[in-house]
Amino acid sequence: MRISVMFLALMLTSIGSIASADESPPGSRPDIIRIASGSRTLTLDPTRSWNSGDIETFGQLYSRLFRRDQAGNLQPGLAERWEMSADARTYTFHLRDARFSDGTPITADDVRFTLLRMRDDPEALYSEPVSGVVDVVAVDQRTVRVMLAEPNVPFLDTLEVCFLGITSRADVENRGPGKAFTEHPVTSGPYRVREWKPGDRLVLEANPYYWREGFPRNGGAELIEVIDANTRIAMLLAGEVDAIRQLGWSRAESFRAQGKVSVPLEPANLIWLILLNHAQPPFDDLRVRQAAALALDRQAMARVVLRNLGRVANTTMPASLDHHLADFPGWPYDLERARQLMAEAGAAGHEVVINIAAPSPQMELIGLILQAQWADIGLKTRIVKMDQGQEVQRLMDGDYNASINWWYNENPDPDLALRWAVCGSCGNRAYYTNYSNKEVDRLIAEAAREPDPALRRVLYQRVQRISTEEVAQIPLFYPPWVNAYSHAIEGLGMTPALQWTLENARHLR
Amino acid sequence: MTRAYWLLQRLTQLLPVLLGISVICFALLQMIPGDPARIILGSRASPEAVAAMRDRLGLDQPALQQYLTYMSKVIRGDFGESISYKVPVSKLILEHAPVTGFLAVYVIALAVPIALILGMLAARYRGTWVDHLIRMLSVLGMTMPVFWLAILMLRLFSIDLGWFPVSGYGQGFLGHLHHLFLPAVSISIWMIPVLVRNLRASIVQQSVADYVLAGRAKGLTERHIFTHHILKNASLPTLNLFGVLVAYLIGGTVIVELVYALPGLGLLMFNAILGRDYPIIQGLTLFYALATVVITLVTDILSGLIDPRVKA
Repeated sequence: MRISVMFLALMLTSIGSIASADESPPGSRPDIIRIASGSRTLTLDPTRSWNSGDIETFGQLYSRLFRRDQAGNLQPGLAERWEMSADARTYTFHLRDARFSDGTPITADDVRFTLLRMRDDPEALYSEPVSGVVDVVAVDQRTVRVMLAEPNVPFLDTLEVCFLGITSRADVENRGPGKAFTEHPVTSGPYRVREWKPGDRLVLEANPYYWREGFPRNGGAELIEVIDANTRIAMLLAGEVDAIRQLGWSRAESFRAQGKVSVPLEPANLIWLILLNHAQPPFDDLRVRQAAALALDRQAMARVVLRNLGRVANTTMPASLDHHLADFPGWPYDLERARQLMAEAGAAGHEVVINIAAPSPQMELIGLILQAQWADIGLKTRIVKMDQGQEVQRLMDGDYNASINWWYNENPDPDLALRWAVCGSCGNRAYYTNYSNKEVDRLIAEAAREPDPALRRVLYQRVQRISTEEVAQIPLFYPPWVNAYSHAIEGLGMTPALQWTLENARHLR
Repeated sequence: MTRAYWLLQRLTQLLPVLLGISVICFALLQMIPGDPARIILGSRASPEAVAAMRDRLGLDQPALQQYLTYMSKVIRGDFGESISYKVPVSKLILEHAPVTGFLAVYVIALAVPIALILGMLAARYRGTWVDHLIRMLSVLGMTMPVFWLAILMLRLFSIDLGWFPVSGYGQGFLGHLHHLFLPAVSISIWMIPVLVRNLRASIVQQSVADYVLAGRAKGLTERHIFTHHILKNASLPTLNLFGVLVAYLIGGTVIVELVYALPGLGLLMFNAILGRDYPIIQGLTLFYALATVVITLVTDILSGLIDPRVKA
């Protein structure tokens, strides 16, 4: 008897403590948009993360000097007007009358603080694109002047990227970045943070001081982290959320056919590819890289893995970016020529280690196809699965022969994309492949200074042609975002730059 | 030996255990490949940014130095800050613990009465169809993978019938009961058979003991012998097993938390390991160790109450 009394007391106290600790977040309010994503929100500081979950949230919290409209065109954001000097090295931005979520005005000084913090803070991740900024001057309360070392044509596009959302200097300096970005950050975008439960959800509420009249069209949002795709789908079907990220390629077709939810296949600045390590045999030999590309039936791969949701990639750059070389044929499937090249290089029988970040059913499937098709040209392959952290580490250490991978670009301009993927002298050794071609690097630098769009196009297309022919990487395909949406909402979608159009969303009932 | 002295002795034994666990955990973390700074900043970060972060986190210092710094903070009650979220680890654990705690208590409340009844029935009607049926169901329950069962129940009861929510843990006590019902059942279906089989075997073993014969000779009723003597003795091994299972529950609910999107400790640990968030992993490991030691202690105290011989 004593035992059961003790047991009961123990149970009641623990239950009681939980019940009393409870509060009521706005989960059930009808004007709240709820999204389940497999990506995690790790930080609310836009200078500190490249993680896709954070990219999804930064744009909701912080407005930039420019924004993109539904058609993808650059529009004035916090900067109402702007002027460029004749030498294309000085920009003057005139700010609109806008306020932060705490009601204080957004000033030229805040813009200066944001840009310089990104450029100078040693832990800021997006410093490279603003490294050409020589100085930023707050001319008056609402006028800010930015001086560049040399003309940089994509600079306005750069200012639109979610990492350069304007943050409050006063708040960050008063509370310190530690507190300012973890406890109710002062925001300039459509939402402010009601509650952040790391590892669970980010609860947003409409920012009453948001500068766009009539937006957001909802009262707030909940971004819920749900790792398991089956659970995300179940939540959507049961009406617990309005939209989910990453439905999964293999499920898209059946969900589209059933019609219970909408699966729009939205264009993405995304490319899936195979990275080859040019610093080690056998892929230090151009002929072996070409053979490896020719031996792959990428049409079949796109059918089996991507379920034909996107196109086979023809160049080293995502097709949704400006100046994509659309009419270039890319690498065909040609086993004869591949075998011939392998014989010329004398590389048959070489063992190749393929790194895969697990768990990813898609990558594992690609790995199996690679194994089978490369065996046809005499390459022995060994697939090594590891967790994502380890995979990144080995990639950066150059401890691999091939790695199945993907990347995405945060704006439609090719500058950052090509610097990232194929530039050998831009800091990441061409996505850690050790590919290096001085001509490519020179063309990329020249294109950034070239004001004439037609000439820029020529330069970027040459870069794509050279890097694809030299097999800097093996491009696989251009997948879309495969998200699923409830029929009960409108206006919600995802831009090619991985940004929810959350401020436009509302429930239909 | 008084009870207080015994308790004090048990508590002092706790210290070297926790210390040992902290050393092992720290050493294991050092052995996992992958640099936290690199993983958090991602492949696009510059070497300078990684170096700055490593410096701030003290990851450049020798392992022993890092361990001593960490432990000196832990002793002062500071479990450090999560590397990725930059919020205190203790806050994260306190936020995630109620979900797992509630789930564990829920599982106990569901599993124990059912396991007791089924175990006693199977033992009382040993060899009859009742016994066979219970044993068959037990094998079925034990062999069904928890995650598979969880997904099936989610499909049927949440999506098709709409009786229970898919995810989250709800508002208020009744909300928690409603939201966590399917997760608790998923775990109970695996846990009940383990307890039933153990209890049945103990009862069967005890029912042929000499003291039962003596009781019968003294003219005690079968009912009295069963409730006052056999059951008391038979419950001891099951109670100990139960203690182990509960300790396991605190850290072992990760699969169910994943399937039902419950923000519990298992999920926190899962994410922390993937992200090499050392302070969270270390903090949680110490928390688990403490919970296990406390649960074992409670089990031992309960055993002592049931059977005074145990304490000696």
